[in-house]
Amino acid sequence: MDNREDIERFRTGKDLVNQISVVLRTSHIHDPDNVAVTTVIDKFVSTINAFISHERVVSLELRGEYFYINDYRIRYSLEYLLNFDFLLREFKKRELGSIIFKDKINADEVKVLVRALLSSSFAESSFDAIEEKMSQTRNISVGRLKKVVEDSSLDPRKMVKKTYFNAVSYARGVINRIKSGEKVNIKKAKRVVENMVDHILEEEQLLLGMTAIKDYDEYTYHHSVNVSIFSIALGQRVGLNRRTLTELGMVALFHDIGKMDIPNEILNKPSNFSASEWDIIRRHPVWGAKTLLKLKKLDPLTIKSAIVAFEHHMNYDHSGYPRVRTDLKLDFYTKIVSLADQYDAMTSSRVYSRVPLAPDKALSIMMERSNTQLDPLLMKFFVNMVGVFPIGTLVMLSTKELGLVCESNHIFPTRPRVLIIVDEKGSRVKGHVVDLTEKNEQDIYIRSILKTMDPNKYRINLAEYLL
Amino acid sequence: MSEELSKAKDIVLSFLKSKKIVRMYPSNNPIYINTIEDDFKKFREFFYFRDELIFKIKQNEISYDSDAVYTNIEKEDNLALFFFKDGLRELNFKKGLTIEEIEDFLKIISLDFNRDALDDDMVTLFWERDFQNIHYVVDDAILTDEENYEEAAVASIKEKEPEQDSLMKAYEDAFQEEMVHDISIVPLSNKDLQLLLQEYERDAEDKTGKLLDILFEMIYLQQSRSELEDMAGFFVSAIEYSIGHGDIQLATDALSRFKKILDDNNEEDERKRLARKILSVAGNESVVNLLGEIMDSGQEMEEKIFEDFVRFLDKNALVPFMKILGELKSIQGRKIVIDALVVLGIKDIATLAKGLTDSRWYVVRNIIYILRKIGDKRAVDYLLKTVRHGDIRVKKEVIRALGELGGTGVLQTLRDCLEDPEIQVRSAALRALGSMRAEAPKRIIINKIADKNFKEKGFEEKKEYFEVLSQWKDEEVFNFVVGILKKRTFFRRTKTDESRACAAYSLGLLGNRDALAVLNKYRVENNKVMQEFVFSAIKRLEHGQ
Repeated sequence: MDNREDIERFRTGKDLVNQISVVLRTSHIHDPDNVAVTTVIDKFVSTINAFISHERVVSLELRGEYFYINDYRIRYSLEYLLNFDFLLREFKKRELGSIIFKDKINADEVKVLVRALLSSSFAESSFDAIEEKMSQTRNISVGRLKKVVEDSSLDPRKMVKKTYFNAVSYARGVINRIKSGEKVNIKKAKRVVENMVDHILEEEQLLLGMTAIKDYDEYTYHHSVNVSIFSIALGQRVGLNRRTLTELGMVALFHDIGKMDIPNEILNKPSNFSASEWDIIRRHPVWGAKTLLKLKKLDPLTIKSAIVAFEHHMNYDHSGYPRVRTDLKLDFYTKIVSLADQYDAMTSSRVYSRVPLAPDKALSIMMERSNTQLDPLLMKFFVNMVGVFPIGTLVMLSTKELGLVCESNHIFPTRPRVLIIVDEKGSRVKGHVVDLTEKNEQDIYIRSILKTMDPNKYRINLAEYLL
Repeated sequence: MSEELSKAKDIVLSFLKSKKIVRMYPSNNPIYINTIEDDFKKFREFFYFRDELIFKIKQNEISYDSDAVYTNIEKEDNLALFFFKDGLRELNFKKGLTIEEIEDFLKIISLDFNRDALDDDMVTLFWERDFQNIHYVVDDAILTDEENYEEAAVASIKEKEPEQDSLMKAYEDAFQEEMVHDISIVPLSNKDLQLLLQEYERDAEDKTGKLLDILFEMIYLQQSRSELEDMAGFFVSAIEYSIGHGDIQLATDALSRFKKILDDNNEEDERKRLARKILSVAGNESVVNLLGEIMDSGQEMEEKIFEDFVRFLDKNALVPFMKILGELKSIQGRKIVIDALVVLGIKDIATLAKGLTDSRWYVVRNIIYILRKIGDKRAVDYLLKTVRHGDIRVKKEVIRALGELGGTGVLQTLRDCLEDPEIQVRSAALRALGSMRAEAPKRIIINKIADKNFKEKGFEEKKEYFEVLSQWKDEEVFNFVVGILKKRTFFRRTKTDESRACAAYSLGLLGNRDALAVLNKYRVENNKVMQEFVFSAIKRLEHGQ
């Protein structure tokens, strides 16, 4: 299959998912026979029939958090985000795994599907009800949502954890190897980062959750990996492709490599740094660039890594360090890595800054720095990515429950998923997750965030809950 | 063995053969094409039985459905180990497998992953190719040096579990905290996305120029001499990299910046030292070889940009350029290198002259040409040693060079060359003497013509003597030539008349109209050649033709 066909398939697939979502959303408001619904149904029928004439059978399937059409994963763009998310929730709510369209379908068959979906909300088993109704149609059938594979080795949380710690272990190995003058295996770094890219594409929230745990002994290595993860996630929001995301993840992983040249007595100093110690710390971007240029023969990746290592503290307005003599325009990757770096550093416990900031506080400081230290447009994307209440934020809910944000919601940034750690009676509980977008029968949100608190002040061990 | 198993085994064994063929043959070769098609056929035959073909991979064994289909305990040429060592533990081919996917799969496995130059391993290439119908399972344990790192890190952090009280305290305090304010996140728009993508696209250009900018910034940020010395290697690598990617302009700009540092009186000595060092090594063998590759690749090279680059190089670049001069296949490339050596050679004639001992005649001839173009008289001593070169083409070139460089030192050699058995050498020597335009060579030529044996020379050679002599448009030559014209002999008259005819020709070339009176006397001659040459000379003098 050539690229052109791929692109066409991708466009049509994206449109299909979008249109079926529009059909359902409109049906929530109007009767399926209303002209508002029939218009969107007709449009959908026209699109899907064109697709069917080419493919014969079209299967729209939900796997994990993604839709697949005839086994091709549909990657959605920002304009379709809301509709994709709506459809995803509709499928999940009804245990609907797939809808299969074959031969030529007509508007009446789609109306049957719409009615089946709408009425299933009141049934004991939504899916069974839909399946029964759909048996009346010849060309549309449905499949049940497949349960997550039981094999523990395929448990996404475990896989994400493994990927995360492999990355940290690799980062640690790299520094040790460079220090002892050994050769560094870049092939392995690529594999490590590719795994992270895959998880960002498939299980973004889980991997971002790993970055929220900040109390590790080996800050430097975790920081490198966290910055890489945040950068990849932000890059993904921007729409970079897999290969570019890997490149971005690689340069981010090595951004702070110059710190290994800072003497340990400074790096591990528990009190404030003196002016001369700051001078030394401010040299790490230059040392980093040099280390990376020595690592291997020049190639585009080495060049980009060295550039980012050199620039990542320069700031958007060039107010940072190192100070340069010419008008050096910051690299796109640098701007992303700088954001990720600031956020992770502020929310981490470092030797020279024992008390980290709460994620929401760090974010609000960063928002103040937007347009001065940080690129305002990328900052906007970053905030939308981590949400108003980033993962790891300690929150008091309107239900008097205390919880930790464990998954942000990019459609409703103020309504993340929260892991309850103290219930409404004030008893410690071990974690059920609530979705703050859930509403009661009166269409009112069941829970909302009332207050945020600093988890570090109370030494809440996020690892206990998120790992 | 079931037919299904036999087909699976057949496929694995074909991988071994196919990866060699794919490596050896270009993709349009019939053997290559047939191999891919055969493999595709084998898969199709297998998919008649099943919808997917899963191979499990162990160190020395590949199995299908728990039956070994390939076993090898050797380290060399072990397909199982080849997959295993990159962490591959399972390969899964799906029924929809396309011939393009098979080809790409074979292309990947045919690569030599032991080469350092390859930055990607097999799994990375599979990942980048993003096959729709080839899935794989990998064991990422090979990515880390430490076993159980995850367990240790998790255990250590979980040990930090706080007292129950602190959580309860947080709960109590929560009631006293301020309510969250309305937080508004500015929603993203498609315009935001477009702006960002546009910025990314603008930023996606080659970064070597940016790296060089940063390296120049870095030399002002170094705090010690040794730190600064480190920088030279980075600059040379960046210059090499630019040239390797055909961007000579970028390399030239960098050298130009160093030249400015060198010429700036306010610059620190250390930085000047660095600049000097880089300018001295920028034309190293590796850089020059890369330039040679560009020239031979047929890629267009702007001569002006190349000339500018060469101007910044120092004499160290001479040897590498002399080396590629003999190796280049492209004539245009050799011409460019010769021009470069003309610029560089003047900085070290002795080194350039070493090229005169090259075993390849054409290299020697080129070096002589370069020395001649440089025009430095120090080259004469080296050139004189080359006059006895075995190749006549070299001899001619060196004689020409000696003539142009001139000086009394070359006269004897050129005089000797006038006696050379080879007419081409004699002719070259004669012209070389002519190009000197001094009294001494004129004297040599006059003496040669006046010699009693001169008339025995062939007509063309005689004519050439007179032609060369005509370059000295002075009275002595005029009188000498008139003397020859008037000369009559009794014996061997034809030979004498040839010399006279050449003298008439010479008078025409000299352009002195006083000769008309003499020439008119000989208008009617029995000797046809004589008659013809006299007539031509008169015509030339009368009409300036």
